[in-house]
Amino acid sequence: MLAMLQKAGRAGFELLRRPLSRAFEHDQNPLNHLGALTIYLLWIVLISGIWLLIFFRTSVNGAFESVEYLTNQQWYLGGIMRSLHRYASDAAIVTILVHIVKEFVFDRYRRNRWFNWITGIPLIWMIFPLGITGYWLVWDELAQYVAINSAELLDRIPIFTDSMAGNFLSDDLLSDRFFTLMAFLHLIGLPIFLVFGIWLHVFRLNGPRINPPQRMMAAMLICMLVLSAVFPAISHEKANLAMTPQMLKFDWYYLHVFPLIQTWSPGAVWLLLVGISSLIMIAPWLPPARKRQVAVVSLDNCNGCKRCVDDCPFGALQLLPRSDGQSYEHEAVVDSGLCISCGICVGACPTATPFRTRSELVPGIDLPELPAADIRTAIREAGAVLEGEQRVIAFGCAGEKSVQELRKAGASVVEVACMGQLPPAFIDFVLSRDHADGVLLLGCQDGNCNYRYGAEWTEQRLARERDPRLRQRVNSEMIACAWQSPWCDSGNALAAYRRFGETL
Amino acid sequence: MKLAGEIIAYVVFALVVGALSVWPRYELITQEQAIISIAFVHAGERVGECRKLTQEELNALPPNMRKPTECPRERHPLRVELRSGTDMLYSDVLLPSGLWSDGKSNVYQRIVVAAGRHDLFVGMNDRGGEQGFNYEQSVTLDLSSGRNVVIRFDEKQHRFDIR
Repeated sequence: MLAMLQKAGRAGFELLRRPLSRAFEHDQNPLNHLGALTIYLLWIVLISGIWLLIFFRTSVNGAFESVEYLTNQQWYLGGIMRSLHRYASDAAIVTILVHIVKEFVFDRYRRNRWFNWITGIPLIWMIFPLGITGYWLVWDELAQYVAINSAELLDRIPIFTDSMAGNFLSDDLLSDRFFTLMAFLHLIGLPIFLVFGIWLHVFRLNGPRINPPQRMMAAMLICMLVLSAVFPAISHEKANLAMTPQMLKFDWYYLHVFPLIQTWSPGAVWLLLVGISSLIMIAPWLPPARKRQVAVVSLDNCNGCKRCVDDCPFGALQLLPRSDGQSYEHEAVVDSGLCISCGICVGACPTATPFRTRSELVPGIDLPELPAADIRTAIREAGAVLEGEQRVIAFGCAGEKSVQELRKAGASVVEVACMGQLPPAFIDFVLSRDHADGVLLLGCQDGNCNYRYGAEWTEQRLARERDPRLRQRVNSEMIACAWQSPWCDSGNALAAYRRFGETL
Repeated sequence: MKLAGEIIAYVVFALVVGALSVWPRYELITQEQAIISIAFVHAGERVGECRKLTQEELNALPPNMRKPTECPRERHPLRVELRSGTDMLYSDVLLPSGLWSDGKSNVYQRIVVAAGRHDLFVGMNDRGGEQGFNYEQSVTLDLSSGRNVVIRFDEKQHRFDIR
C-alpha cells in the first residue's frame, strides 16, 4: 500500500521534475534546495516585514490606514514590501508542500530520518498561524472574515470560558488591545518559536543547507519583486462588522481551511487538522521500514583520520579516544541511532582501496550489507563481459530506476548504496586495471542525492578538491557524471550511457 | 537555452504563487443574503433555592466555614430559540460551563438568511422547563443585502438587544 502510494507519488513528481531538470543545471534546480529555499523565502518575509512594522499602527483605525498608506502613498517601497511580504509567504507554502511530498515519495522520512520528519510538523503549525495573524492585521474585509472564523475555530477548544468570536460582532466591541495582541503574536511570539523550530528541524544533520545557491537566491528575489510590481497586493474595503462582504479575494495558501468551518463545523475542522497532523506524525512507523545494518568500524584498519566524520551527512559518526591501545589518537565510532547506511563514510575512507591484494579488502569503515569487497567483485564481473573499445561500466545507486533501465538493456552496472559510497580509488581500479574504458556515474536523478551529499562529495573527490582525491594518473575524460551537463540532457540513463560510450 | 528555461520556470512559479493568492474568489454570501448572529453569555438560574442553615448544622461545621446560607452551585441550562415568522432559525439547549455546571452558558451562532423583511422572535428560558420563555422579544427588520444583525442579551436591563 505504502509502496504503491510512493510509486504513484514519484510518477506525479516526475511531471514536475522532468521540465525543471531540463530548465536548470542540477545545482540550480529548486527541487534540490526546497528546504533552504523555504528558509530563504522566510528571510524575505522577515526583512520586508520589518519595513512594514516601522509604519504599522496597532489600533482599530490605525491598522487599516497605515497599511493603506504603505500600499498607496508609499507604493514604490512600502507597497512593494507589502507585496513581497505576502508573495514570499505564499511561495514558502509551495516550497514546504513540495518538500514534504518529495521526502515522502522518495522514502526519506523513515528509519533514522524520523526526527527530521516529525520536527517539521510543528513548523507547519507555526507557519499557518503566522500567515493567518498577518491577514488579521490589515483589518480589511478579508481580515474581518479571518478574524471571525479563526475566533470560531478557537472557541471550539474547551479552554475558553467566554466566546472569542462574540468580540467581532460589532465595531463597538473591538478594542485597540486586540491589535496589540495580534501584533505580538505575528511579530514576536510565533517567529521566535519558528526560528527555534527550524533549528530543531536541522540540528541533527551534518552541514545542513540553510542557504540555497546565490544565483538561485537572486533569481527568486527577482521573481518575487517582479510579481510584486506587476500584481501588487492590495486590501479589500475597511472592515465593517455591521456588514458581511459578499465576495473575497482569497489567499488559498493560508486560508484554504476557512470555508470548511462554514461547510462542516469548527469541531470537524479541528478533527481534520489534528487527524492529518497525527497521521503525518506517525507516518515513519506506518509501517516501520526494514532496519538496515549500520556501518561498521574495523579498528585494525581505522587510523582515526576523521574523513568519515566530516563526510557523514547525518552526523552519525564521531571521533572518540582510541579504545584498542593502538598508537593512533582517535577512532571512528558509529551512532546506530543516526546512521542510515548510505555508505558515504566508506567512500571517504582512505583505506577503502581495491588495489589491496595482500590482505583482505576490509576498509576502516564498511557497510555490512554491501561491503567494499563485494563492489570490487562486481566490478570484475561487470568488466569481464564487456567487449570492444568503448567499454563502459556504470555505477548506480541502489533502488534507482536508472539502474534497472540499464540492466534491462544489457549494460554493465555496478550497484552501490549511494554514489558517495564509491571511493575514487575504485574508479582508478576500473580504468587502470582495464576493466573498462570509461566509467559512468549514474547517481540519483538530477544529482538530487537520496542521502544529501553523495553527488556533491563525489564531484569534489573527482575534481581532486576533497579527500580521498582521484589520483592524477586517471584521465578525467574517461569519467562522466550522468547528473551533469551534457549527460543529463540525454533524456534517460541509457541514452547517456550510449552517448558517453561513443565519446571514448 | 538553459537561461530561457530558467526564466520560464520562474515565471510559471510566480504565476502559480500570484494566482492562488487571490483567485478563485470566495463567495461568502450571495447578493440576496444577510446574516443574523445571536451571541451572548448568560448564567442560568441556580437549580435549587438557597437555604438557611439551622443552628445545629452551623455548629457541626468548622468555625471558618459557618456560612449562614447554603446555595446549590449547579445552574439551569439555557433554552434559546430564534424564529423568523414560522421558520426556526436557531434552537438549542446550552449547558452551563464549568466542572460543576455552575458557570455561564455560551450562546453563539451565525445564521445566513435571505435579505428582506423578517419578523424575528427570540426567546430564552433560563429557569428550566420544557415550555415557555421567561425572556422574549419580537421585532420586524428589513435586512439589506450583506447586513449583519446581532442579537445579544443585555444583562443590566434583562432584555434582548437586537441591532
